[in-house]
Amino acid sequence: MIVEQYVRVLILVILAIAFPLLPLAGSYLFSKINYRPANSNEIKSSIYECGVEAADITWRQFNAKYFLYALGFVIFDVEVIFLFPWAVIHTEQAFSILIKVAIFVIVLAFGLFYAWRWRALEWQQ
Amino acid sequence: MIKKFFSNTLFIKLSIGFATLIFLFAGYFISKLLFDLSVFSEFIFNFFLERFSYNLAYLASSIIGALGIISFVGLVLLIGSWVERRVIARFQIRVGPNRVGPFGLLQPLADAIKLMQKEVLVPDIADKLLFLIPPVAIFLPAILAWGPIPWGPNMSYLDINVGILYVFAVSSLTVPIIFFAGWSSMNHYALLGSMRTVAMMVSYEIPVSLSLLSVALVTGTLNFNEIVMWQSNNSIWLGLFIPFALFTFFFASTAEINRTPNDIAEAESEIVAGYHIEYSGMKAGLFMAVELGNAVLLGALISSLFLNGWFLFGIENLVPPYIIFITKTVFIYLLLIWLRATFPRFRLDQLMNFAWKTLIPASIIHFFVVAIEVSIISNFSEIPYLIVLFTVINISLVVLLAYLWGKIFHVQQYQPEKIQPRFAASIGGLEAMKEVSSID
Repeated sequence: MIVEQYVRVLILVILAIAFPLLPLAGSYLFSKINYRPANSNEIKSSIYECGVEAADITWRQFNAKYFLYALGFVIFDVEVIFLFPWAVIHTEQAFSILIKVAIFVIVLAFGLFYAWRWRALEWQQ
Repeated sequence: MIKKFFSNTLFIKLSIGFATLIFLFAGYFISKLLFDLSVFSEFIFNFFLERFSYNLAYLASSIIGALGIISFVGLVLLIGSWVERRVIARFQIRVGPNRVGPFGLLQPLADAIKLMQKEVLVPDIADKLLFLIPPVAIFLPAILAWGPIPWGPNMSYLDINVGILYVFAVSSLTVPIIFFAGWSSMNHYALLGSMRTVAMMVSYEIPVSLSLLSVALVTGTLNFNEIVMWQSNNSIWLGLFIPFALFTFFFASTAEINRTPNDIAEAESEIVAGYHIEYSGMKAGLFMAVELGNAVLLGALISSLFLNGWFLFGIENLVPPYIIFITKTVFIYLLLIWLRATFPRFRLDQLMNFAWKTLIPASIIHFFVVAIEVSIISNFSEIPYLIVLFTVINISLVVLLAYLWGKIFHVQQYQPEKIQPRFAASIGGLEAMKEVSSID
């Protein structure tokens, strides 16, 4: 019966893609009947840069700060996903399980403390 | 004689009373008729089951449910923008949109038509394929997350046992989509805006998941229906039992959906419009619309997880339960508008520091406290009112924490005697607004 529920997810995915396509189709139709402008030129299709020409290509090296946050996110997100199965059956479990979970979380919390100590969480340096 | 009778006050009172009676009767009848909307999908299911196969019947009833969700979201997107502009205008002592239709109710429709008439531009050097995907795909998380929301007793579209994880997984889809939008635009502002948004959303996903973890700890399930039933069985709202989780979820979710205290993505003064700067016409309108839809979705999530869903002190037996649910959702949405009207935007480094140095350590400690409380409650279940005791303890702890927070960071008390907007209050502002509002 559970698998049937995911067929419903698929239906919702299809409708969720169709929903924003409706106004876009309306916009396209307006251009077909010459009700909205559709004559792009060089100036219009250039990149917005406060009125001046774009200085450089954007796809190049970027600040590594963002990468550190992404690493921290991966560690803690996986931790939380591992904790969910324990959380569901926690009321039936003995108290000693909690201590084991505490050890697991304290190891990761030490990682957070370590990153904090080495100024990986400071936005400005 | 007849003219005199019709202008009589007694007649007017009688007719008003009669109209009220008819209205009440009709309302009662309609609410009885539409008490449980699931009967429609059941009717269609049985209709197809008698004539065709089981699979087709299931498919048909599912499509009806999905269309119901889609139409609700569409209605919310239409009415919500009017509500938001109107309420924000009242906060700022303005009138708001009041020209198109009665009370400006047709304004969102006019906006949609205006956006459709605008030219859709694609930058020359943009990555064309990636540029096309985001305005459509951004609706996936906003609509898919409505699936497991319980509208009423047996009115949830998806009745899956991993409801919270599903919402959590689906809402994470926003991050790559926003990054597509920023990356493919080939614009410095867009890339910077999307990088900042992704960093912030990624940081605030951890507090959100930790607060949902404490919900799962207390209720022992991930199914939305069972969470709502747990709250009504124990006759306590989870928002009262674990108020810190409610606060964490609320604050971190405003960062997740880019609402105003945390709308780093659209810091107009720094990065013009953030990740959707290069989108024009209807595509930009879709980005605007999805933010509104997400705000209402946050209201629905909070009201089902923390505010007891469709239960309200026995009123759910008189009024259709989904009306109660929508009322709670709208209440949270109005709270979000209030926040938007009140608070300025936080800086990015403030937000990141708050997430990593305050919210995440505090959430980790909090879920341990909740785990210990839940073990005590389940081990000593013969003691009555244990849950009420812990509720009082939790609320007082949160109040104490807020007090200490203010003490540590020297939050100054608001002193109204320093600011006296006498002129505005007596001549302009509210007085002037009274005359203007007569246009309606």
